Amino acid sequence: MYKIAITMLLGDKGKYLGIVSGIALASILMIQQPSILLTMLSHTYSLITDISLPDIWVMDPQVRSSEDSRALLDTEVYRVRGVQGVQWAVPLHKGSQSVRLSNGELENATILGLDDATLIGGPGEVADGTLADLRLPDAVIVDESGARNRLARRSDIPGQPPIPLKVGDTLEINEKRAVVVGIARATPTFRSDPIIYTTYNKAKNFNTSDRKMVTFVLAKAKPGENPEEVARRITAATGLAALTADQFKQKSLDFMFQHTGMLINFGFVVVVGFVVGTAVTGQIFYNFTLDNLRYFGVFKAMGATNRLLLGMILLQALLVGLIGFGIGAGLTSLFALSTHSGDNIKLELGLPLLAGSGAAVLLIVLVAAFISARKVLKLEPAVVFKS
Amino acid sequence: MHETTNIQGHPVHAPVVVCRGLTKSYGSGETKTLALRGIDLSVSPGELLMLVGPSGCGKTTLISVIAGILDQDGGTCQLFGQDVSRFSPRERVRFRGKNIGFVFQAFNLVPTLTVAENVAIPLLIGGSRRDEALRRAAWQLEQVGLGGRERDLPGQFSGGQQQRVAIARALVHDPRLVVCDEPTSALDHKTGTKVLEMLKSLAVADNRALVIVTHDQRIFQYADRIAHMDDGMIQETVRQQ
Repeated sequence: MYKIAITMLLGDKGKYLGIVSGIALASILMIQQPSILLTMLSHTYSLITDISLPDIWVMDPQVRSSEDSRALLDTEVYRVRGVQGVQWAVPLHKGSQSVRLSNGELENATILGLDDATLIGGPGEVADGTLADLRLPDAVIVDESGARNRLARRSDIPGQPPIPLKVGDTLEINEKRAVVVGIARATPTFRSDPIIYTTYNKAKNFNTSDRKMVTFVLAKAKPGENPEEVARRITAATGLAALTADQFKQKSLDFMFQHTGMLINFGFVVVVGFVVGTAVTGQIFYNFTLDNLRYFGVFKAMGATNRLLLGMILLQALLVGLIGFGIGAGLTSLFALSTHSGDNIKLELGLPLLAGSGAAVLLIVLVAAFISARKVLKLEPAVVFKS
Repeated sequence: MHETTNIQGHPVHAPVVVCRGLTKSYGSGETKTLALRGIDLSVSPGELLMLVGPSGCGKTTLISVIAGILDQDGGTCQLFGQDVSRFSPRERVRFRGKNIGFVFQAFNLVPTLTVAENVAIPLLIGGSRRDEALRRAAWQLEQVGLGGRERDLPGQFSGGQQQRVAIARALVHDPRLVVCDEPTSALDHKTGTKVLEMLKSLAVADNRALVIVTHDQRIFQYADRIAHMDDGMIQETVRQQ
């Protein structure tokens, strides 16, 4: 009889497609929106993700997230180096500067000034050029997205796409000459500004207005030392905020949740997707059951138990749930894949996200099955004798 | 000859249906309606009994009680020597599925299933394997003159053919009692008489009992007995020549 249940479901093409479409749409909303949210959130701590070498981030106690920057004196680096358990500590400058393009237009860019000696904090992957070339005079490395988009040279021919920055091109940063020696792959920042890597001393040259230039002190715990314990020692010794990388990521996330509407806005869309999916699926599935109520009555008259009928309805619900979720997840995956080729936000669909959305879809179809099953289980088989 | 068996599987040689003092009402208080007012009725193996009467006289209620679909309020109704009202709901459902076949006025064939699948339903409900059930259904369809059309959908058949499919479904699991509710009212005279002829020849053979509710005087000639009902009571029972 379970095969009969499937045949009955697939035979009513209109309702079957309606139910599957409703579930697919709900699945898309419940997967895609959280995916966008999670990806955007990951951009809030992209700096911490990309600079993976240090265990500990030392900063001004007023700093609220990795997008925040409150400068420290250069001497703070030495104070951190002097704390027990610290293997090394280097400065990192993070600031924002105006970049003048070849056509005279100005763009804001994030400047990262890396320790001159070690270049710690540099991009993980330099697609064109080498990281070591940053030591050359006026040298900068630009992130790939920035080089292709906002820092790209406008074509002289109208309608033509901009010409990406390449190695050898020059920029003007705060009226100082900069030469592009490399193009790097980096995680986009939350604001999607272009990222320009240079050395710490050159960053000082580009930014002559600020007296304090150290944004973060990056530190590494000695082998065998607990980074959290070392961080506590740094705080005690210097009065600065010292956090492990994970702690700093969490702090940045907490700031985003508390001070932006991202969670509420995206969460609202997810809830709407769930509610609409439930309503549409439940309504159409209920109508499908109503259309077949007479036949369920016939089955009852012919000896079908309530357990068998319930099993048939559950199977129908689970089948449409599986197909609808498969279509929704598949379409969302294709969409996410398409974002990887461009320069826009690149969506990632992790297993926990898919599992969570799958659980939500399961809940939707179980609710739909329950509503329909109630009607069938209460059905008097004598109804089949009514014409 | 088929032996009727009780729920324990012991053979029973007795009238298929025996009703004594059967009463059934709907509603309560001022809206209470007595649908059956003390019915005495029996149906023997191999007999075709027709229940006739005006609309609302209680015919459908009576066959619902006989088939174990509705509980009576008073009196007794025994099927194959057993009081079905004493069964648990699960036992009653199983008993009905094993021993009773149904033919409905509106055919009630599932439009999205092939006719073979429709006919096989009583066997599938009873737990038969799908391939075996479809094989048996194909054989039954041959018996009603529709062999070779197993894969067609009900919508591809005329009214008379659909009723023949319904008859095949009612007989496929070899029931002891076949209950029919207005089986010819949706058919023209010629088709209706053909259907009745087929029903009688197939169903009553091998000692099955057949109970038919009908308004259709054109088919009275096929009955062994006709019970005239009115106002919830059997007014008279006439044996046909």
